[in-house]
Amino acid sequence: MRVIRTENLRKTYRGGTQALRGLDLEVHYGEVFGFLGPNGAGKSTTIELLLNFIRPTTGTASLFGRPAADPQTRQRLGYLPESVNLHAYYSGRGVLEFYGGLLGVERADRRRRAEGLLERVGLRDAAGRKISQYSKGMLQRLGLAQALINDPELLILDEPTSNLDPVARRDFRDILLELKAAGTTVFICSHILSEVESVCDRVAILQQGELKRAGTLEELSGTAGATVTVKHLPAGAIEALSATEARLTVRGGESTIACDSQTVLEDVERLLEERGVEVERVETRMQSLEEIFFGAIDRERTP
Amino acid sequence: MTVTLLIAADSIRALLHQRLLVALMLVMLGLTVAFSMAVTGMKESVLQAAELAAEAEGSDFDEEGLQQARQQIDMAGSFFLAAFYWFAAFGGTAVTLFICCTAVATDLRRGTIRMVLAKPVSRTQFLLGKYCGAMAVMLAYSLLAGIALVIFTRSNALELGVAALYSPWLMFCSNLMVGSAAVLFSLLMHPLVAAVVAFFASASFFSSPNPLYFILPSYDLFNVSSLIMQGRLIAMEDIFILTLYALNVAAIFLLLALWRFRSKELL
Repeated sequence: MRVIRTENLRKTYRGGTQALRGLDLEVHYGEVFGFLGPNGAGKSTTIELLLNFIRPTTGTASLFGRPAADPQTRQRLGYLPESVNLHAYYSGRGVLEFYGGLLGVERADRRRRAEGLLERVGLRDAAGRKISQYSKGMLQRLGLAQALINDPELLILDEPTSNLDPVARRDFRDILLELKAAGTTVFICSHILSEVESVCDRVAILQQGELKRAGTLEELSGTAGATVTVKHLPAGAIEALSATEARLTVRGGESTIACDSQTVLEDVERLLEERGVEVERVETRMQSLEEIFFGAIDRERTP
Repeated sequence: MTVTLLIAADSIRALLHQRLLVALMLVMLGLTVAFSMAVTGMKESVLQAAELAAEAEGSDFDEEGLQQARQQIDMAGSFFLAAFYWFAAFGGTAVTLFICCTAVATDLRRGTIRMVLAKPVSRTQFLLGKYCGAMAVMLAYSLLAGIALVIFTRSNALELGVAALYSPWLMFCSNLMVGSAAVLFSLLMHPLVAAVVAFFASASFFSSPNPLYFILPSYDLFNVSSLIMQGRLIAMEDIFILTLYALNVAAIFLLLALWRFRSKELL
C-alpha cells in the first residue's frame, strides 16, 4: 500500500525557476523514507506540494490514495517544518490543545494527549509557559509534539533536528525509532546523512528537481573497498600489484592488499588468480550513505 | 463549523493578546470624556453669552432668554452627538481595516498559516474563521460605542434619538462590508495599500458617470450622523434592509476573497 505517490510532478515558479522536473516517487506504509539532496534540490518544494501549500505545474501528488489537495488527507498526517512557527500567545499546552481541536480530537482527550506528548518530548516543566519564551530547541520539540497530537499514520519531517543539541537529537532519534516500531510511516528530509542512515528503510536522492537514485540502502550501496589477505605472495605478483592502485602491506609473512574500489578489487583478484596465488580472505566494506550520496549527485551542479 | 469557530476564537485570542480591546475601550472612554467636557464648556459659554446679551440690552435674564439658550444648547448637543458618532464610526472603520488587512497577511508573514493548513483545515474554513474572529471583535467595538453613546447622552442630559439608538448596529453593518473588502484586497496587494483601497472602495467617492459608482457598494448609507444631528427618525424596515444590504455586499467580497485565497500559493 502506498502512502505517498507522485507522478511526473513538476513545479516551475514564477520567474522560470524549475524546482521539480517530473518527480515519480512512492512511499509505502510503515517505512521510514529518507529524502535527500543538496540545497535547491526540490525537497521542500515536494513537501509543500504534498501539503497543498503550492500547486503543481503538471503531474499529481497523492496521500493515502487521495489527491494531496483534499484537506481530509491531512487528518492522518503530522508535519514538522524546519522552522517551527507557532502562535506565540499560547502556552505549550495551549497550542497542542488548539491543534488537537483542529484535528477533531475530543476536548477531554486533548488535555490528556497534550500532557503525554509534552512529557515525551521533555517539555513537561515548560507546559504552562508562553511559547514566546521558548528557545529554538524547545520550539522544535514542541513542533514534534504538535505533529504527533493526532497519532498520525504518516509523519512528514523537514530538517527535524536542525535546531537540536546532541542530547535532544538522540532523544529525537529514539522517538523516531519508537514510531518506526509502531508502524508509522515517516518521510524525512535531512542534511544529516548519518541520522537518516540510522533510521531509514529507503532513501531517495534528489538534485535540481531530478530524482537521481531511490531504493533501500542495500540496493543503492556498492562495494566501497576491500582488503585481500594472502599468505604467500610471489615476487612476480608483488611487481604486478605495484602497477595497480592497490596498496600492499607485508607484515609477519602475511600480505594485505587494500583496494579502494570495486574496480581495483576486480583487478587484484584477476591478477592473483593468473599467478595462482591462494587468497586467505577478502573483507569487503559497503558504501556508507554519504558515499552513496556523493556518488549520486553531480557536485558541479550543486549551488 | 467547529474548525471555523476554533480559528475565529484563535483570531480573537491573537487580537486580545495585542491588547486591542483594551485600547478600544480606552479610546471610547477618551472620546466620552473629551466630548462631555466639550459639551459642558459649550453649555457654560451659551448661558454666559445669553446673560451678557441680556445685560447689554439692559434687561433681566428671564425665562424667555433661558428658553432660547436651551434651544441653542439642544442644537449644539445634537451636533456633538453626531460628531461623537462620527468619530466612533471612523475609529471603527480604521480598526476594521487594520484587523482585516492583517488577518491573513500576519499569518502568512509569520508562517503560522502553514502549521494550521497542515491540519485538516480547508482554506475556506481558515478565511471564514479569520473574518468571523475579526467581526466578533468589531461587534464588541460597536457594543462599546453604543454604551459610550448612552453614557455620553445621559451624563450631558442630551436626547438619545432613534437614529442614535440604532447607530452602533449600523456601524457594525458598515464594518462587515469594509472588513470583507479589506480581506479581499489584502490577498491581492500589500496590507497597507489594501487598507487604503478598501477604504475608498465605496460608491460615495465617485459620481454617476464613473462606472465604479454603479459597481461599488456605498458605505455612506450607514452613516447616520446627519440624521442624528437633525434628530430625525429611522424606520425599522430601513435598518432591516441596510442589514441585508451589508450582508449581501460582505458575502460577495468574501466569495471573491475565497476564490483568490484557494488558488494562492503559500510561499
